Amino acid sequence: MREVLEIVLRSIMVSGTATLLASAWSIALAYLLVRSPRASRPLIPLLEGMVGVPTVLIGLLLYLLLSRQGPLGMLRLLYSPQAIVVGQAVLITPLITSVAYRVLTHSWNMYGELALSLGAAEGQAAKIVIMESLPGVAAAVVMGFSRALGELGVALMVGGNIRGYTRVMTTAIALEVSKGEFELAVSLGAILLFILAMISLTLRFLGRLRE
Amino acid sequence: MKGVELKGVWFRYPGSKDWALRGVNLEIRQGEVLALVGPNGSGKTTILKLAGGLYRPSRGEIMFWGSNIWEMNGSKRLELRRMVVYVHEKPILLRGSALDNVAFAPILRGVPKEEAVRRAERLLRDSGAANLSGKDREEMSAGEAQVVSILRAVAAGPEILLLDEPTAHLDREKRNILIGLIGRLRSEGRGIAIATHDHLLALRTADKAVIIENGTVESIGDPSEILDCC
Repeated sequence: MREVLEIVLRSIMVSGTATLLASAWSIALAYLLVRSPRASRPLIPLLEGMVGVPTVLIGLLLYLLLSRQGPLGMLRLLYSPQAIVVGQAVLITPLITSVAYRVLTHSWNMYGELALSLGAAEGQAAKIVIMESLPGVAAAVVMGFSRALGELGVALMVGGNIRGYTRVMTTAIALEVSKGEFELAVSLGAILLFILAMISLTLRFLGRLRE
Repeated sequence: MKGVELKGVWFRYPGSKDWALRGVNLEIRQGEVLALVGPNGSGKTTILKLAGGLYRPSRGEIMFWGSNIWEMNGSKRLELRRMVVYVHEKPILLRGSALDNVAFAPILRGVPKEEAVRRAERLLRDSGAANLSGKDREEMSAGEAQVVSILRAVAAGPEILLLDEPTAHLDREKRNILIGLIGRLRSEGRGIAIATHDHLLALRTADKAVIIENGTVESIGDPSEILDCC
């Protein structure tokens, strides 16, 4: 039981950190793209296309980058929780950016122009736009967390599923199933399902707030 | 020139091949009320947004008090941009009450919150809209929201006010509030440009009317003369 709790907490910590990191740059990138239509025209379809990239592909790319012979091998991040954080942050960046872009575009068209017309400086307008679109932006962040928590490829390939160190819910479920230990796999699956259901409820609540 | 001047302005929306404006020359002066009339899609809103410094012209110059706004550095441009306020046709209110919204404009310009709230209360009262003060944006009708968005623009203290279809959602009572407000602002020496289909409003408030068609200025003159023919 203690191990299950440890795995659940580690999963939330790792995916939560990845989500915070990815949100920081993704929301800023989304805002910059809203303000630069020239850049957003080619970049947004590209980011939207990357939302569905298989997690094992991202895992493989990161493995090649972080392995000893790879260009970032000197960081010695492979098979560490930090590697999973980086991998999941990369994985969910296109998702958070493209969803936040849609939300911020709508908000900019209403509130950004309004703020500028009332004499706001660019920074003040950005603050108003983000404040007015907080429920939508928060929904993008929650979607990112949900994707990070439920992915397997990155956690397995760059985390290595090391017991007590990098084992998270999805890698633990995969391991237990391969061992034929369905009891633990089912309990972990139920917990994961419960967390994802809570996230879904949060998204619906945020959706209502937006309306 | 004390006000905003559009000099040979051409404008095309990003991604569009068609010109929204073609060589527009127009002056919006302090102490004068200008009515822009013309059919939907003729370019009235585009002219107001360019005059408000919200859009950059594809060709031509937008002069604010004699200086090209798009050749200024950031802080100087902001200073000049703050002399002109554009009010959208569709009223857009921020979260909070009417009072919060009206106080928002001076707060944005650095006025301390208490002073901004006092100013907003006074403005709502003097304009006959004090009953809206505590109403939340969710509780307001379109007409009430329109009045609040216009008062918020006035609270910003602009030298030139640009009103886009200001009577679109107004009943007679609120229309009278607006007409009174326009008269008061003009007497204070402020300039107002109104894009409108409402010829009666143009006839009652404007010193000059401008007929816009297909992105060009067709004619400028006394409203009672040129609007009779439309």
